[in-house]
Amino acid sequence: MTAENRAAENEAAKSKADDIRCLNIAKRFGELETVASMSLSFAARQTTALVGPSGCGKSTLLRMVAGLEQPSEGSITIGEETPAELAKRGGLAMAFQDASLLPWRSVRDNVALGASLARKPAGRVDDLIELVGLDGFANVRPGALSGGMRQRAAIARALVSAPDVLLLDEPFAAVDAITRAHLNTQLPKLWNETTTILVTHAVIEAVLLSDRVIVLSDRPARIVADIPITLDGPRDEAMQRTDAFKSLCDSVLTALEEGS
Amino acid sequence: MRSALWVVGILILWEALAQLKAESVLFTGPSAIAGYLYDHASLLTRAAVATTQNAAWGFFWGILSAVLLASFAMLLPQLERALSSISLLVFCLPLVATGPILRVLYGPGAGPQITLAAMAVSYTTYLALLVGLRAIPQAWSDLITIYGRGAWIMLLRIRAPASLPYLFVGLQIAAPAAFLGAMIGEFTGAERGLGVLTLRAMRGLDVDATYALAMLAATIAMLAYGLVGWIARRTLGYAPVILLTPPNDHKPRSLGRQLLGLAALTLSVLLIWQVSMDAFGLNRFFAKRPVDVLNYLIQPEARSTLFAALLETLSMTVRGYLAGLLLGAGLAALLMLVPAWSRGIIPVAVALRAVPIITTAPLIVLALGRGATGTITIIAVMIFFPTLIACLQGLRQTPGQIVDVFNSYGAGRLRLLMTAQIPSMLPAFFASARMAVPAALLAVTTTEWLATGKGIGVLMALTASTSNYNMLWSCVVLLSVAAVAGYAFIAVIERVVLRVYAAEQVR
Repeated sequence: MTAENRAAENEAAKSKADDIRCLNIAKRFGELETVASMSLSFAARQTTALVGPSGCGKSTLLRMVAGLEQPSEGSITIGEETPAELAKRGGLAMAFQDASLLPWRSVRDNVALGASLARKPAGRVDDLIELVGLDGFANVRPGALSGGMRQRAAIARALVSAPDVLLLDEPFAAVDAITRAHLNTQLPKLWNETTTILVTHAVIEAVLLSDRVIVLSDRPARIVADIPITLDGPRDEAMQRTDAFKSLCDSVLTALEEGS
Repeated sequence: MRSALWVVGILILWEALAQLKAESVLFTGPSAIAGYLYDHASLLTRAAVATTQNAAWGFFWGILSAVLLASFAMLLPQLERALSSISLLVFCLPLVATGPILRVLYGPGAGPQITLAAMAVSYTTYLALLVGLRAIPQAWSDLITIYGRGAWIMLLRIRAPASLPYLFVGLQIAAPAAFLGAMIGEFTGAERGLGVLTLRAMRGLDVDATYALAMLAATIAMLAYGLVGWIARRTLGYAPVILLTPPNDHKPRSLGRQLLGLAALTLSVLLIWQVSMDAFGLNRFFAKRPVDVLNYLIQPEARSTLFAALLETLSMTVRGYLAGLLLGAGLAALLMLVPAWSRGIIPVAVALRAVPIITTAPLIVLALGRGATGTITIIAVMIFFPTLIACLQGLRQTPGQIVDVFNSYGAGRLRLLMTAQIPSMLPAFFASARMAVPAALLAVTTTEWLATGKGIGVLMALTASTSNYNMLWSCVVLLSVAAVAGYAFIAVIERVVLRVYAAEQVR
């Protein structure tokens, strides 16, 4: 066996070890069953989109992976660790539906908070602020920003700790269409090496940003379809006009209709 | 500018009235007050400095204890219920009785003034802080969990900075309260201070002096209120959204468990009372223990005196309390219907809220006499201003989009008020109704003591001066229990009403 092969095999083994595995998880809030018993895994260093009707439980699924909710049944492991253990060493980050910036901190301090809470160096703060297009606003407080700008700051905060697992709960919901298109092409470069789960309503966004789209049914959530996204070439504006892209969007939409 | 015109207008009208009724011994005008202030400038300055100093120390100690208590409550949530209840009880202790008791404990000096000021500050600040510490969006606490951090980092990074605006709101109310506490402490026999001069002026029926002292005290309190507000605006630099009722995280408890909790709390209060007195080796002659009070209350004649006085006091309190609440909320609603008036009235009301109303009680007694009308008016006035301001704040919290929806249908102001604005006002109304219970009892007992010579207020003053400490302690216990019960009663109504109209505030 050559050294190269061994390296590739090690890589494969490591990748497998860092998968997020949900085993027979279910979630009930009192009488209300939000997530029906299901097993699924999210491949390491890939982006997986969760798509489904509103209130179907996809956010609950995400919150369970984040360790913010405990599953009523089953277990979740990330590599060898529980979500809480991964969180303890600063390996998790999340961007919420509303930006949830702290109003008393400037954009720079809000982004830096992500690094300091994760006990990571804050060296990337200014670079990230520039990357999300907020250079010039670093010293501004969130109150003076538009909804889209706040959301971008929140994404920078989630990325600043270079997390192993990145959880995005409809992070672009408040962002206008043009900025959204820009973010959709720019941001994925930043989470290439990160295991990312993206919860979204927007089918085009899901297909454009991910390596795989999981379609969930109406509550209680179960998996309707699991669609791998294989597209040749850069994921940009031009890609969205190709037939391959459109047919992938069609299959996601068909699955969504089945599940509701 | 407009409010300055109002003030000048009021002053002119007042002076004219005073000139017309120049022969009256109960009424005086701005010129006579200014004259008194000028003639006694050095005496008044010394007194004002002494009172302000005591109030400032009380303010400091009160804030410190509030911050410590609130931090404890956050880090040890199991203790929160007990901490809150005991703080409420301390806040409900009648100052008129604790004043003389503290005087005996401390001896001469500034001890009682500072302690009473601290007690007046501590609870309002604690309550405001607690709301602020708890009222954080779920996502902010999620943020801490996501990075695997615990309660301590949450307190330091999220809760503490998030509660800062609430702390300032609390401090703004506490600044005049500290002044009030210091003055009542001075009523109990201090060497110098505005309280001492006020008492002397009242006893001597010196009208000019009474007015001048009330004005001076009010001005200093308003300045303190303004100063805290100014510091708050400079420090915060952002406009926070302020909730008025603490979100309740407690799980509902069964009636049995609630009673058990109440029993445990009562027992621990009695224990603290007994143990703290034994620990400091306080003389049993004046530092009565729970058993002494119980033994005393077994005697029928003692009981009948006490209950007769309490009944008299409570009947005044309830009437003044309701009048103050209704007038405050009513005027707030009226100002929504006739917005043109609010430009003149609101600045004046905001300024007057800062006045420790009790310092103007002597004026009201002068004007309305020593009967029931005067007493009820003082209670009502004491409650009126905080209620008015709180309700106006609440009314303004009606979401702008809802107002737009009503306007787009061409709905009238009355319709908007009844359907959207009053429900939005309710949390603020109840928050101030709760705090008004101890305030009303403070007003009534102080008035009874200083002026009317009826009710439990005068009973406490009398027994303090005749060293009948059994009766004094019994009064303290009974009044505190009455205040806590009243507070709890309002809180129950509040829960029921808010569950319907403002579910987000009850959770």
